[in-house]
Amino acid sequence: MKQLIDISKELFESKQVGYIIGYAEDKFKRVKPFVAYSSLDTERFVFNNNSVNNLAVYLTRLPKAKEGKIGIVAKGCDIKSIIALIQENQIKRDDVIIIGVNCNSVVNQIDEQFSKENTAIKCKYCQVRTPAHYDYLVGEIKEVELPEDKNFAIMQKLDSMSAEEKWNFWEAEFEKCVKCYACRQVCPLCYCEQCIVDKSMPRWIDSSATTKGNFAWNMIRAFHLSGRCIGCNECERACPAEIPLSLLNRKMGMVAINEFNYRHGTDINQPTLIGNYNVNDKEDFIM
Amino acid sequence: MNTYVLSKDHLKNLALELINTGYKVISPSKDGRRFVAISSADDLVINSNLKPSSVSMKEFFFPKTETLFFYKRNKDEYDLIDAAEVNQPQIIFGAKPCDTSAIPIVSKVFNWDYKDEFFNKKVENTIIVGLACKFADENCFCTSVGLSPVSEKGSDLFMIPLTENTYACKVISEKGKKFVSNHSKIFTETIDGKSININEIKIPEKRFESKEVKAWLDKNFNHKLWDKLGENCLGCAQCAFVCPTCHCFDIVDEECNHTCGRRAKNWDACQFEIFTKHASGHNPRNEQDKRYRQRISHKFKYYTEKFDEILCTGCGRCTRGCPVLTDIGIILEDINQLAKESISNN
Ligand code: SF4
Ligand code: SF4
Ligand code: SF4
Ligand code: SF4
Ligand code: SF4
Repeated sequence: MKQLIDISKELFESKQVGYIIGYAEDKFKRVKPFVAYSSLDTERFVFNNNSVNNLAVYLTRLPKAKEGKIGIVAKGCDIKSIIALIQENQIKRDDVIIIGVNCNSVVNQIDEQFSKENTAIKCKYCQVRTPAHYDYLVGEIKEVELPEDKNFAIMQKLDSMSAEEKWNFWEAEFEKCVKCYACRQVCPLCYCEQCIVDKSMPRWIDSSATTKGNFAWNMIRAFHLSGRCIGCNECERACPAEIPLSLLNRKMGMVAINEFNYRHGTDINQPTLIGNYNVNDKEDFIM
Repeated sequence: MNTYVLSKDHLKNLALELINTGYKVISPSKDGRRFVAISSADDLVINSNLKPSSVSMKEFFFPKTETLFFYKRNKDEYDLIDAAEVNQPQIIFGAKPCDTSAIPIVSKVFNWDYKDEFFNKKVENTIIVGLACKFADENCFCTSVGLSPVSEKGSDLFMIPLTENTYACKVISEKGKKFVSNHSKIFTETIDGKSININEIKIPEKRFESKEVKAWLDKNFNHKLWDKLGENCLGCAQCAFVCPTCHCFDIVDEECNHTCGRRAKNWDACQFEIFTKHASGHNPRNEQDKRYRQRISHKFKYYTEKFDEILCTGCGRCTRGCPVLTDIGIILEDINQLAKESISNN
């Protein structure tokens, strides 16, 4: 913590940053996003197993700093979304200062007690506990106990299902959707200035939470995140209806890896999968 | 009115009888996350210790999407066809005081300048069996909004645990009384309502004075607190959609094909940017701080002025579900603190 605060203070004192997005505790000692505007503010910064939020979402939501760059405290997985935003030309590398943190996995839900059982599944396969890219690095890696991957069996089962069975599975899940769009709002890569579901003149997507409207919404979002989702799992965490959105995201991610050998958010200089045409791209899996 | 003694077996038998006679029987789900219509009496969940469900039970009165009517093109005119009337009686078990009290609160706006027959009919057709609550975590604040874990507001019948297996069931409304007399085989044993011991139920401490909060809101439409709140909030509206008292809706026409369609009433929320966007493109609540201010002001100022009710039951759902843990209880405590400071400064 001291390292994190010292670096943050230094960034303010040398006038390099306008603000730093980090984590702080509230009066019940729960960790949540916190924006520091001064060296004094940074004394509230914390980082621990409850630092769940992917703060990269704020990079496209908050106004630009009046002076200086934007500082951001980020775990390895969050940094993937920062890289993705740079690859997609949403922010410039020079506009941010990344304080990477060595991460010892995080809790599943923001207000839960951290334990092996309550550890986020994404941490099981994490390759970036020491971030791959940063300006500063703080914290130490410790040995962690990893959770069970409860979803793996479900994914295998889904893979073996017929189209009709898959439809029934997702129909039952999407039926619960209340169309709050929390999945979109927490997603660092859902930054469209106008989301297609908000286009009302004319309407493209039914706004009703009916089977048709819910399928349209969840499918459109899945398509728009194909080859772009970096697997932070914020959407699933935020969903009040508890729809297992990570099943879709992981599947999409696996297709990008298996069919195109592409992992979004890993290399700042790599053209994006969707934004780059390659004559050698496979086509055989399309219909 | 009378108070009866019901065992878990009585309740199961009652649920079975109701399912068999065409009632929609609604109970917290087994994992306690939602309210669901059950088809077997074994799925009935009566548990005072449950955390409030993640999503409130409002969908049984105010569905997330509801057809108002269908339309069909008939040459150059349109025929309007009424939506099928739903008259199925429903009964809700296991609802906490912070669930049940929401119904009379929002009834006021649904019966203000226009009587919303869709909402009213469902309320009329529903028996609400409230359940005293023994949960109370740091997100709850029912006692700060004039309620408590034993409030009967909004219930037709109200249950208080007596022992592991038995409950006292108080008759609260005329509707409840009629229901009991129609099921007199189950409601047999009575006790003296005054003899029930509720001391075992922990009453959470009051966290703020809603009157002082309102007085501060009256004077602080512009305040830096809103900027700070708007900064963290992602504008996802999860808070409104899980809330038992949030009741905003949008009316849309949706086509089935080019000759027919339906007009629907869908949940909407003030946290969306598009909510106040005018056709001209102008948006009076163009930033999240303004939208979050609306959330607090509607609940603790405007609704109080108009309907003499606080539009919040202190259930804490919006806090528990918020992806960035915006804690409405802490915000109201902070506002109360600011109110106190401004009084002492004057
Ligand atoms: S995925 Fe890796 S970097 Fe991200 S929270 Fe888990 S362990 Fe930390
Ligand atoms: S789709 Fe979900 S998991 Fe993927 S980047 Fe967005 S919030 Fe993260
Ligand atoms: S967060 Fe969940 S309930 Fe809300 S719109 Fe997304 S999928 Fe639907
Ligand atoms: S749930 Fe939280 S982040 Fe979402 S709109 Fe409400 S306060 Fe903002
Ligand atoms: S505003 Fe929050 S605490 Fe109040 S009734 Fe709604 S969900 Fe419950």
